[in-house]
Amino acid sequence: MEYKVEAHRIMSISLGKIYNSRVQRGGIKLHKNLLVSLVLRSARQVYLSDYYSGACLNAQSEREGNEWDITDSEREKFPPSATECDRVESTEEPQPNEQPEKEREYRENDDEVKSDQVDCTSTLQEQNQNSSLDSVAKVSSETPPESITEPKESPSDSAVAERDSTPEANGESHQPPKPYVCSNRKRSAEESESGDSPQKRTKVASSNAKEDEEAEEMDTSNVSNLITIFGSSFSGLLSKESAKPEAEAEDSGQICCDQMLKNLNPWSTAIVAF
Amino acid sequence: MAGAGGGGNDVQWCFSQVKGAIDDDVAEADIISTVEFNHSGELLATGDKGGRVVIFQQETENKSQPQCRSEYNVYSTFQSHEPEFDYLKSLEIEEKINKIRWLPQKNAAQFLLSTNDKTIKLWKISERDKRPEGYNLKEEDGRYRDAATITTLRVPVFRPMDLMVEASPRRVFANGHTYHINSISVNSDNETYLSADDLRINLWHLEITDRSFNVVDIKPANMEELTEVITAAEFHPHQCNTFVYSSSKGTIRLCDMRASALCDKHSKLFEEPEDPSNRSFFSEIISSISDVKFSHNGRYMMTRDYLSVKIWDLNMENRPVETYQVHEYLRSKLCSLYENDCIFDKFECCWNGNDSVVMTGSYNNFFRMLDRSQRRDVTLEASRESCKPRQVLKPRRVCAGGKRKKDEISVDSLDFNKKILHTAWHPQENIIAVATTNNLYIFQEKVN
Repeated sequence: MEYKVEAHRIMSISLGKIYNSRVQRGGIKLHKNLLVSLVLRSARQVYLSDYYSGACLNAQSEREGNEWDITDSEREKFPPSATECDRVESTEEPQPNEQPEKEREYRENDDEVKSDQVDCTSTLQEQNQNSSLDSVAKVSSETPPESITEPKESPSDSAVAERDSTPEANGESHQPPKPYVCSNRKRSAEESESGDSPQKRTKVASSNAKEDEEAEEMDTSNVSNLITIFGSSFSGLLSKESAKPEAEAEDSGQICCDQMLKNLNPWSTAIVAF
Repeated sequence: MAGAGGGGNDVQWCFSQVKGAIDDDVAEADIISTVEFNHSGELLATGDKGGRVVIFQQETENKSQPQCRSEYNVYSTFQSHEPEFDYLKSLEIEEKINKIRWLPQKNAAQFLLSTNDKTIKLWKISERDKRPEGYNLKEEDGRYRDAATITTLRVPVFRPMDLMVEASPRRVFANGHTYHINSISVNSDNETYLSADDLRINLWHLEITDRSFNVVDIKPANMEELTEVITAAEFHPHQCNTFVYSSSKGTIRLCDMRASALCDKHSKLFEEPEDPSNRSFFSEIISSISDVKFSHNGRYMMTRDYLSVKIWDLNMENRPVETYQVHEYLRSKLCSLYENDCIFDKFECCWNGNDSVVMTGSYNNFFRMLDRSQRRDVTLEASRESCKPRQVLKPRRVCAGGKRKKDEISVDSLDFNKKILHTAWHPQENIIAVATTNNLYIFQEKVN
């Protein structure tokens, strides 16, 4: 489960970076935002894979269909099946997908052929054995706090993670077909602050977050389109002219993303500069 | 000195000079953003975040003190770019100088290209050491004389004056790029140059400012399908038809302009298969190439990604011929480096004059010299503590884990705010310029 916490954290950090880049001087830097979006996508896939495994265990299969407004192609990646869950847990098998280069992250790496480059390369293999959580495949054997030298973050993350799994399935049914990741994160963020039930929180969120100005005009359409790569999940971060407009999902997604983004600020201040 | 900048590790480097403010409080405008020697090595240009260019000139050697190598002193300072505002997009355009490239010298004046995110400018730096005196119709201060008072005629003559170095913008190449310019490179034909932004590469003629040719365009029809951007580009040092560009995916494409007008289709693709055992969330980021440089002889090119330097033979596309780890001890810290944005730092790299040694920067004001011929490497530090004249730099060692030996620094004590992104090597001699955040260090080979 630790890698889910890690994935969650990386997703929050990535979204924070994308958000901050819009107010940075000089305009949005396409290169950096592209890289951040790639990390975000990888973390999201890890996060999703774990969600599916958790959902399988809770036998919530009928809700999965309408909970997540994901495209069919993405759904292919995470077929809800018991064996799939097991596979995800052991992080051995790659999930079927369109982007094999991302999924290879999850493969067992011990049996891979180590390509020996040139004399000058250091022994990457030995270092990899000792390396940190960044390699998802190693997650099952290591815990996050070891590798990341910011232990003060893990308590809040694990607190978030604990509550993550339970209300996920429950809260969804009360919401319109919403970007699922947004919903999860919003819930988890707010759970860490108050112990309200998911239903109440949803209504509170809808009435509070009128700051539509959060969805500022993207300076360039590039990044907004990059974010559509993640599907409707992050439609809240798009401008009104997003390529895949989903009106109601957009508004509610926008609101929940706003909530989440607002909650990001205390997290980002907690991040210790190296 | 004898030799053409050869020898990496039998060379001992010693401190020569440091330029810049001493206090630790760094003004953002003073952050050095580019460093470049001209083709003779006599001039050294730096650009900073405030849009200024400072040029240093090497003093002619002092014959009476052969061990004291000639020094670089300020030659010219000028404001190259100003902050601008794009009203259409409501975007501020930074004045930070991204790159400076010198033109080969053709006459008494020097020319350089400097660029910020959007606009490239050609600057002429010329000296004036005499001025005309003795006009008939004008006084020395410029006022016109009363014609009635003129009774004699004289021929104006040039008289010596204090040396004045003037920098004037001769060309402004604007509105060529939608995205941020990351590279410029002067062609060996000395008539054209290329400029590259995230998605496009344009070819300009040095004389023509109102149009340019687009030679590479990797912008997808649907921006949602964007997967890679151009990170650096350079012309081949001798073949005026050949250039390379690197991508954020770790690939380098070599293009031949004779093949077609639009070089979207590469002639060669240099790519090393990724090591699957090193896969992580951040594999893509650290494989992104931050700099590409041809060797002086034109047979090799060097690429810098976050953790390593790779040397490629232009005739072999499937893997580099040499790979050097710059700071492998950071591989386990990638998550933290992602959080504090250090993972996005774009390190540059450079060759020495005879292509036997390459140099690149790291953190904690460390920089690395990688000797290709002797297969040795050394880590040195640019710090105010080693600033005594001709003080020899001591090699530094970083302890990756386990027991820290004496004189080693542990990875956790490294200062990640002190990064050396820009370095330059004199084209002929063993003189290097290393830029820390706001200081420029000049080191020279120890001469006995």
